[in-house]
Amino acid sequence: MNILEISDLTVRFGGLTAVNAVSLDIPAKEIVSVIGPNGAGKTTLFNAITGIYDPTSGAIRFNGQEARRPFRWTTALALALIGFVSGLSLVLIANVEPLWDTSITSNYVYEQAFLWSKAFSAASGYFSESPGQHFAVPFLIGGLIGLAGAFAIWQRTRRAPEVAARAGIARTFQNIRLFNQMTALDNVLLGMDSQLRTRVWHAALRLPLYWRERDESARQAMDILRFVDLDREANQLAENLSYGHQRRLEIARALAMQPRLLLLDEPAAGMNPAETQELMKLIHDIRERGITVLLIEHHMQVVMGISDRIAVLDHGEKIAAGTPPEVRNNPRVVEAYLGKTYEDPPPT
Amino acid sequence: MAARPRILFHWSFLIVAALIPLIELLLPGHPHVGDLLRPIFIMAMLGLGLNILTGFTGQLNLGVAAFMAVGAYSYAILTCDIYPFRLGFWSATALTVLVGLTVGLFLGLPTIRLRGDYLAIVTLGFGEIVEDVLKNLDSITKGTQGINPLPSPSWFGYHFRAETYQPWYYLFLAFLAVLVLLNRNLQRSRVGRAWISIREDELASSCMGVNPMKMKLLAFALGAAQCSLAGALWASYLGSSGEPGNYDFQVSIIALCIVIVGGMGNIGGVLLGALVIMGFNSIVLETVTNFLKAHQIISSSNVFTSPGSWKYMMYGLALILMMRFRPEGLLPSRQFKAEAHPDQPHSPPTS
Repeated sequence: MNILEISDLTVRFGGLTAVNAVSLDIPAKEIVSVIGPNGAGKTTLFNAITGIYDPTSGAIRFNGQEARRPFRWTTALALALIGFVSGLSLVLIANVEPLWDTSITSNYVYEQAFLWSKAFSAASGYFSESPGQHFAVPFLIGGLIGLAGAFAIWQRTRRAPEVAARAGIARTFQNIRLFNQMTALDNVLLGMDSQLRTRVWHAALRLPLYWRERDESARQAMDILRFVDLDREANQLAENLSYGHQRRLEIARALAMQPRLLLLDEPAAGMNPAETQELMKLIHDIRERGITVLLIEHHMQVVMGISDRIAVLDHGEKIAAGTPPEVRNNPRVVEAYLGKTYEDPPPT
Repeated sequence: MAARPRILFHWSFLIVAALIPLIELLLPGHPHVGDLLRPIFIMAMLGLGLNILTGFTGQLNLGVAAFMAVGAYSYAILTCDIYPFRLGFWSATALTVLVGLTVGLFLGLPTIRLRGDYLAIVTLGFGEIVEDVLKNLDSITKGTQGINPLPSPSWFGYHFRAETYQPWYYLFLAFLAVLVLLNRNLQRSRVGRAWISIREDELASSCMGVNPMKMKLLAFALGAAQCSLAGALWASYLGSSGEPGNYDFQVSIIALCIVIVGGMGNIGGVLLGALVIMGFNSIVLETVTNFLKAHQIISSSNVFTSPGSWKYMMYGLALILMMRFRPEGLLPSRQFKAEAHPDQPHSPPTS
């Protein structure tokens, strides 16, 4: 069963085609590597999968469906409500002074009882005096602006990163992107955010759910830190961790999301051989937990050592795919990395 | 455990603050330090509201004075007897907080996708617009006069009066304490963590499943609600909404100074910042100026030699020096403290 199916994915930035008609199937619970020379489009592929870039064309199906916000009746209701409220607001803003004068000022005698019914009838009298100019026009304009704006924002954030993340895709970044001013523990706890049920009022008033979840999530976060062997650094600021620790903390933060697919963008970059060995073991352990791993890596030792399958990208196109021995002996791969050999010397 | 002394430390602050008016009564000459502390409490509330937006979430807002103005004017309209609403102190304050929340949401919705400088410009413009609207919407806001007089609040038959400052002092202190508590609770929960993660790296945060738009909108609404609460309390104490010019750009900048000098994203830091900036403004500068005038070192007619005329330059200098030598603020946030004690077991396991 394929957990991720990428079909004919193209990502274009203006005139530059970063990923060109790439199709790739990732079977569940395997370790798949994406390799290729610099600028081949590997990170762009990752960014498209996690919703940072919108694909120019093609489809990315995770678990059999596209990771984007569904259009439900609640969405329609929210859009209608926003349009309605902004329409009413514009009506109020456009008529605020005459409306106030006719309904409030002229009906209120200092320190005497104020009849709200009179105020309301005066207000409705004001609107019925010229319903088009006073009510319909501002209401329609405001409603349209509100509806269109809300719809545009919703449309543009349909494939937002948080949607992919909540669907079960976690990732790390090529240049480490931790929350530097937060402790290692808080970084991991943030990864768990989508599983927490505490709401603002629980947190502000410290209702029982807050306490229960606080202890529970801290315990789970420490377990995850222990898994990547960082539990002693739990209270260190992320920016003060060593480079290797930061790489591992990024993986821990991604694991805290309880993902089904983990995308690792060059996890072994800048690591020494011992750290690389540890990392390979860690990736193996992650797969043992039932998480599919998609890996971008330049270390051939890592790639050949742990991958079940390898896909090779060059200039945005997939030039080869298969098991490690197949890819190693593929002439197009050798060509992409080492260049073409001239079988016949050019005639002199 | 490490938590206990810290709690005692916080309570001791509250107790000292609560004792100040009582100690004053015992001292000869009845100095009115507590009287001077009230504007500091108000500005601290404003700073706390801004701290949610700028300190936690990292969204630079240059228009918090507008939220304060919204609070002051809605409180004034709801209580003043030239309008038919004539609500009491508590219901008017509660409604004002709701109004502030709504205004924050309305400003937040269209600006939510703006970042950094662009957001700062829009909020700056919002501040100017609110001031102009208040000036020109004569029939509702009474233009440049402001709405007054407001009835003084009463509680169980007790009337607050302008002459005795102690009840006001305790009222403001209680509100400030509650706000500090709520803010701290939020900061040490998933809400605060999500806010700080957006400040640190919005893209990474959204890749971890946090919805940045939702969290920023929440920060806008809660920050605006707190600022408008500060405005409502200030109006109730003044007995007037104040004139629109009282809520100009300078107030926003002072609030920003309070947050930056105190320590971005740290509640204790905001309180300290309010004490330092406002204390400098209303206590130190005043005293120095009066002293110099009394001893005829400077003439009262020459504004250039009066220290009070130089205060904004001094704020600017203080900001530049802070940025150069201590960018994290006077009181660095708790993350720095946690980092300083790596051997301690994870004492505040936050949820």
